[in-house]
Amino acid sequence: MSRRSVLPAAAGIGLAALLMSGCTPATTSSSEQDGRLRYLIEEQEDPEFLSTIEAHIDDFEEENPGITVEVEAMPFDTMRTVLQTQLQAGDAPDVFNWGSGPSFAGALAEAGLLYDLTDAYEEYDWPIYEFAKERVTVDGKLIGIPGDLETIGIYYNKQIFEDLGIDEPQNLGDLEAAAATILEAGIIPFAVSDQEGWQAGHLLSMTLSSKVGSEGIAALVEGEESWTSPDVLESLSLWKEWQDAGYLPEFPTSISYDSGAALYYSGEAAMLPTGSWFIPEVAANTEFESGYIPFPSEDGRGIFTAGLGSGPLVAANTDNAEAALTFVDFMVSEEHGRWAIENLGTIPPYPVDTEGVEALPLLKQVIEDTATFASGDADLGTNIDVVASDAFNQAMYDGFQGIFTGQQTPEDVAAALEAAARS
Amino acid sequence: MRTSTTPPVTRRAQARLGLALVVPLVLIIAVFFLFPLGNALYYSLLDYNGVNPTPPFVGLANYVELATDPALLPALANNILWIVVGTAAPMLIGFALALLMWRVRRGSTFYRIALFLPYILPTVAVGVVWGWIYDPIRGWLNAALRGIGLGGLATGWLGNPDTALYAVLATAVWTATGFVFVVLLSSLQNVDSELLDAARMDGANGAQRVWYVVLPQIMPVFLMILTLTLVGGFSVFDIIFVMTGGGPANATEVLGTYAYSSAFQLNRISYGTALALVISVLAIPFAVALNRLQRRLSLQGMGT
Repeated sequence: MSRRSVLPAAAGIGLAALLMSGCTPATTSSSEQDGRLRYLIEEQEDPEFLSTIEAHIDDFEEENPGITVEVEAMPFDTMRTVLQTQLQAGDAPDVFNWGSGPSFAGALAEAGLLYDLTDAYEEYDWPIYEFAKERVTVDGKLIGIPGDLETIGIYYNKQIFEDLGIDEPQNLGDLEAAAATILEAGIIPFAVSDQEGWQAGHLLSMTLSSKVGSEGIAALVEGEESWTSPDVLESLSLWKEWQDAGYLPEFPTSISYDSGAALYYSGEAAMLPTGSWFIPEVAANTEFESGYIPFPSEDGRGIFTAGLGSGPLVAANTDNAEAALTFVDFMVSEEHGRWAIENLGTIPPYPVDTEGVEALPLLKQVIEDTATFASGDADLGTNIDVVASDAFNQAMYDGFQGIFTGQQTPEDVAAALEAAARS
Repeated sequence: MRTSTTPPVTRRAQARLGLALVVPLVLIIAVFFLFPLGNALYYSLLDYNGVNPTPPFVGLANYVELATDPALLPALANNILWIVVGTAAPMLIGFALALLMWRVRRGSTFYRIALFLPYILPTVAVGVVWGWIYDPIRGWLNAALRGIGLGGLATGWLGNPDTALYAVLATAVWTATGFVFVVLLSSLQNVDSELLDAARMDGANGAQRVWYVVLPQIMPVFLMILTLTLVGGFSVFDIIFVMTGGGPANATEVLGTYAYSSAFQLNRISYGTALALVISVLAIPFAVALNRLQRRLSLQGMGT
């Protein structure tokens, strides 16, 4: 299961809770000006995660005598309420990892609870990707460090492609031709699953991002463009057409995320549309080599849809601003980036030279691809479900299930999306 | 008159005792029933999103919206289907099994345990395992169908809007039948065998003996189980939530899952509360009517 399914719902509650807590910013911080920092992070499923990160922080402390960092970890849901109460009580950690989206860090910033990092960005010259920087900019101020990058694209089985004489698709036409060839060979082209429903957000984000770019999606989300526009309709219809053509498993709505992945692992399906967070799983469960490409557009390779995880933020009322900034600087360092790739399998939001880094080849390739996309003029798409409302997401999830089961047409779904966006 | 002969001291003591006996129950009802009910009523009149400390008062707006909500009727229709099939099927199957097992001695413990087991398994576990059975690719249901040449019937059971509700319902019937079976089987032990013998000598066939002799004698128990299964049908939630989450695209949505998704997925706590209250109100008349029927039958001397 992906944690993505939890995120949108949690975001809504978190936003409101944090806005409330933001009404009364406290004036004192827990630790005095003595170089002692409290750093709060989200607990991970991996039981070794905490000791790994503590060892990493020991390195930081060695390099920076006089600063000690006390790590606290708690589950995501608990963290939301604890942050809220601690911020209210003036007992917040100096640095904490929290989502960098508008409903997370954005809400805190609006309540005046975050340390303005605009000057620090200039002073330390942090090499964060421009698109990621934009997502932590609120009212012209840089309010945090973006979290790890997560992209959504298509994994493909290189073995099957090679056996069938298919090259890596360079545009949508190539991809469709590949799907037709794969289907002819008796293999399911795309391991699309939609039992849980949230996969719809990724499917639509992918096709729409490559069609209209991040600005096009922003226009849709902000209501400047209608969800009944031809671009959205075509993006919805595409999945319907592919289902009718037999490119998807027979009953996508009966297939869970894990079952869909299993189809890809076993070679029963040749491609798997999902995100970069799945690289370790794909590598661990397959004998063959996988490629990972963005969803192509009509005239080109298309763009990766990208989201950001939780990144370090500094509390506005920290007594250890200097130490906190030194620590944040460490979290944006080449050293930290290489460590994160090796130990956490995550993609830093800034360029990292992966030469000599011990990581899965696919992860390295994705990091390099991402760097090309993110640092150049190329665009990165938007994962719709993290920027849209709960009601909209529900309409999107129901809509795709409706399309896949023939209960709704793409036109019905587009109208429902538009209605949900306006409500 | 009795009251005039009782000394006032005794009467006061009796009143105190009565009060002392009643107060705990009244408190329990007040704390665990009346207060939550009042609270729910209050929240259903607000527009509460779960976090806002001062939610606006909206009066009956939630109920007005409910009345015009296009998603409500399909959910209610699913509930009714669930209530009818989900009550009738376990009652019939459970009763039939109980009759079959009535006179069986050898292996009866085994059958009783085997049939009762599904009822005591955690619903979540049942839902997950049946989800695997229904899986279109790896599930054994489709595999079995293909194996016996009925591959044309194979489908994505839980993802096909035409079959999803029935597939979940079949699982629910599987779990509920064991309960009906065990309770009815034990009540059958109280059926007067002399009456049965008499009926047999009078030439009553099997069906007639069941209908005219057995059923009337176990009627109160039968009605009690009927009430439990029926009322449970209104509040069904867990198994649907686990197996389909109300999907695909609301095809298996019932009032319970709809209330949940309104309250906790869309953060409309008040709307979900209003829905939950409507569910309760719908279930009350059935519970009361069946209870009355049961009492009347007992007073008529039917049953044991």
